[in-house]
Parts: sequence; C-alpha cells; structure tokens
Amino acid sequence: MIQALLVGLWVTWAIIDEQTLQLQTTRPIITGTVVGLIMGDVTMGLMVGATVELMFLAVVFVGTAVPPDPTLSAAIATALAIATGSGIEVAIATAIPVALIGQAVTTLQFSVVNVFFLHRGDKAAAAGSSKGLMFYSVLPLAVNVLFYGVPAFLAVYYGPQFVLPLIEAIPEQVIRGLAVGGGMIGAVGFALLLKSIKATHLWPYFLVGMIAMVYLNLNLIGIGLVAVTAAALHMILSKGKSTKGSQQEEEAS
Amino acid sequence: MKKEKLTRKDLWKIFRRQLFIRSCLNFERHQALGFTNAMSPVFDKYYEGQEKADAMERHMQLFLTQPMVSAIPIGVAAAMEENIALEGEVEPESVNAVKSALMGPLAAMGDSLINGTARPLLAGIAVGLALQGSILGPIMFLLGMTIITLGVRYYGVFRGYRHGVNLVGSLHKSGLMSRITELAGVAAFVIIGGFVPAVVSLNLNLYRVVDEYTTVSIQDALDGLMPGILPVAITMLMYFLLTKKKFNPILLMILLMVLGVAGVYAGVF
Repeated sequence: MIQALLVGLWVTWAIIDEQTLQLQTTRPIITGTVVGLIMGDVTMGLMVGATVELMFLAVVFVGTAVPPDPTLSAAIATALAIATGSGIEVAIATAIPVALIGQAVTTLQFSVVNVFFLHRGDKAAAAGSSKGLMFYSVLPLAVNVLFYGVPAFLAVYYGPQFVLPLIEAIPEQVIRGLAVGGGMIGAVGFALLLKSIKATHLWPYFLVGMIAMVYLNLNLIGIGLVAVTAAALHMILSKGKSTKGSQQEEEAS
Repeated sequence: MKKEKLTRKDLWKIFRRQLFIRSCLNFERHQALGFTNAMSPVFDKYYEGQEKADAMERHMQLFLTQPMVSAIPIGVAAAMEENIALEGEVEPESVNAVKSALMGPLAAMGDSLINGTARPLLAGIAVGLALQGSILGPIMFLLGMTIITLGVRYYGVFRGYRHGVNLVGSLHKSGLMSRITELAGVAAFVIIGGFVPAVVSLNLNLYRVVDEYTTVSIQDALDGLMPGILPVAITMLMYFLLTKKKFNPILLMILLMVLGVAGVYAGVF
C-alpha cells in the first residue's frame, strides 16, 4: 500500500519535473532506479530502468508530437518485476502497452485539459494579473496527480489486469479522434499568430517556408537560414521603396 | 511604473517563471501562457492597469520551441519590451515577429543538441554503468542533465537579454529600427510556413477502389501532388474564418475537435 502510494507520488513528481525543470527524472534510468529503491530491490530497478531506457534512448520527438510515455511504463514495469518476481522479460512486455496508455493520457491533457487552462490564462492576461498567469501555469501540474499518479498507484496496488480494462473502457475512436482534432487545432494557433503579425503582403514568404519544408525537406535550421536570406534579400531589393516584395521566393527556394 | 532598466533581480524573476514555460503546453497555442508568464515581471515593473493587460495579451500568441532554449527569446523579448516602455523606439508588433523568427531554428538546435545528442550520450553511459549494477550511472546522468537544463535556461535569460539590448541599440544606430517589424515579419512568415506542415497534422484514411485488385490511398495521392497540403489548407481556412468572418477562435477549436472525433467514427481520418 505505502509502496504503491510512493510509486504514484514519484511518477507524479517525474511528470511535473518534465513539464517544468526537466531534470530528466522522467527518464526510465532514473525512474526505474527510484522505483526499485521504493520496492526494495535497487539492482532490479537499475536493470529494468536501463533496459527500458535503451528502448527510448534515441527517440527524439520534434515539436509537440506525443511520444509513448517512458515514465509510467518504467515505473509500472519495475514495480511489477519486483512485486511478482517475474523478471525483466515480463516487465518489458508490460512496459510497451503501458507506454501507449501514457501517450493517450498525454494527448488528452494537451488537446483538452491544457487548452481549458490556456483560456483561463487569457482571462488573467486580459486582467493584467501576473499572479493569475502564474496560477494557471501551476494549476495544470495538479492534474498530473489524477492522470499519472493515480493510474500508477492503481496499477502497482491491484496489478495491471485491474488498470487495463479501465483504460480500454474509453472507446478507442474517441482517443484517436481527440488526437486527430489535437493535430488540427494548431492551425487555429498559427492563424492567430499570422493575424497578429499584421502583414498580409508578406504571404508569399509563407510559401517559401512551406516549399522548403515539404519539397526540399530542409530541417528547421535550414528553414531558419532561408528565413534570414529572405529577410536580407527583402531589405536589399526594397531599399528606399515602400515595401511590397514578392519576387524573392525564386532565390530563396 | 519605474523608469529604470531591468536589474539582475528582475532577470532572476524572469528565470524563475521561465521554468514554467511548458507547464500548460497545449495543442492550440503551445507555450503561449508560459511565455507571457515568464515575461510578466517586465510588465509588472513598467505598466499598470490597462497598459499592462494590453502588453500581456499581446504576448498570448502561439509560441513553440524546445523548453530549455526558450529562455533565449524570452531574454531578447525582455530587452525589446524594456525599450518599448522606456524609449519607445521598438514597435510593439515587432516583438511577436522576432519571437516567431527565433522559435524555429532554436527548436531545431535544442532538439538536436540537447534531446538528440547530450541526453542520449549521458543516458548511454548511465545505462552501461547501471547494467553492471552500479547506481553511479543514474546519479551521474541526473547531475549532468541538471547542469544542462538549469545552465541553458540561466544563460538564455541573462545573455539573451544582453544580446537583445545590443541588438536594439545597433538597429537604432543603423536606422533599421523602422524596418525591423517588416524584416522580422518576413523571417516569421518563412518560419511559420515551415512549421505548419511539420506541426499541424491531418491524414485522410480514405481509399478509392479502382478494381478488385487495386485500391488507391487518397492520402498518398495528395502527398504525391503536394505534401502537407491538408495542414496548410486548414490553416488558411482558419485564417480566413478568423479575419474575414470574425469567428471566435474557441468555437473554431471546439469545431475541429468535434470534427476529429466525428471523422474517426466516420472512417475518414
């Protein structure tokens, strides 16, 4: 009971760390070791942590793509490996589905829960309240107790056969649909950003960036260089004139 | 309402709030709240009432980069806001353009250098030690990453601010100040043009049956025509609805979420 509680608390902390300081306590190598300590077998914790870490080692997700969750999976895999004495192989087998559950939970958090807090934050900004901005920056962290801490506690206390059906009760289509919707709502954010720059005559440059990304497959540093080049050409070619430049896209792409 | 430049104490306040840059990460405007929150010590110092609210709302725009290196544009923006409040040489609109121009290249650098190189390297060493049963591995990894994450953030806020002040000064001297909104706007449009197909996503799950042996994926056909056409099309549509039709952004988002779920049930996505 106390062990399950401590694992739940640790997972909550690790996720909060990932969303703030990023000391990387989310990483399986750390979480596995700590959960091993809680469950009374550090060596097993090190082994499972290191093995799960290897699974996630080279996975870098650019932007906001939601990766399978390494923390929940390392914590639950380590705890079960020690509690059931089933060894590393079984632990790794549990780690994979648990990582996918973590991914679904994170998607829900980013596409629904934090969007709600963002709009509360808008109200705080409209009121000029820096306390309010801080409050709505901290409050989303509390949700992690429910989203990560409680599932970790239940999984360790009752075993995974209790947790998996609960998660499976949410229709798969809803989770996938929210992920699809989450993929699209960034369009509203970008549209708002473009609106705020207030420069409708610069639209050709949007095409320059887009062409560089989709046809030339440049990475973001390459696109940064194209952006600097385009700005320099824009400055040279429109010297002294009122600025309405669109002739640069050939050079830039 | 003070008439002095930002002090080290102010920059430390910004540093502390910068730690929460991604605590409210979301798919609509990503780190917008985190950025505004990090900037708020500047607004607290220079503004009151409606002026303060206007400055904060101005910053609640989409922002997205690697969380640690986000400290750099925060430092630069703090220097620009200081100039707006004290000298009034910088145009307020240019701050968002500069932020947008910086976020792409910094995201790429942060992702490749920190998440893609430093972390796997340290983790690899830690895994090696851990598999030999040594607890030193995880301790070294944690220590190394703590130095990196706090160091990058400290350096970003303090040096970013310094560079921002110098940048504003040299722009003023060279007479480029009046052009900076335009030029940063050019860079921002290029960056956003690259970000949209990379960050916004929509894939169709539709197939056209040609005959009993051949089915054609509509998504593949679209990708052959122009990759990223759907994300760009939705962004354009949203821009049109926001500017020309004056739609409420919250309504648009709810519609898109509902469309996502409905589309999955209908088998379109």
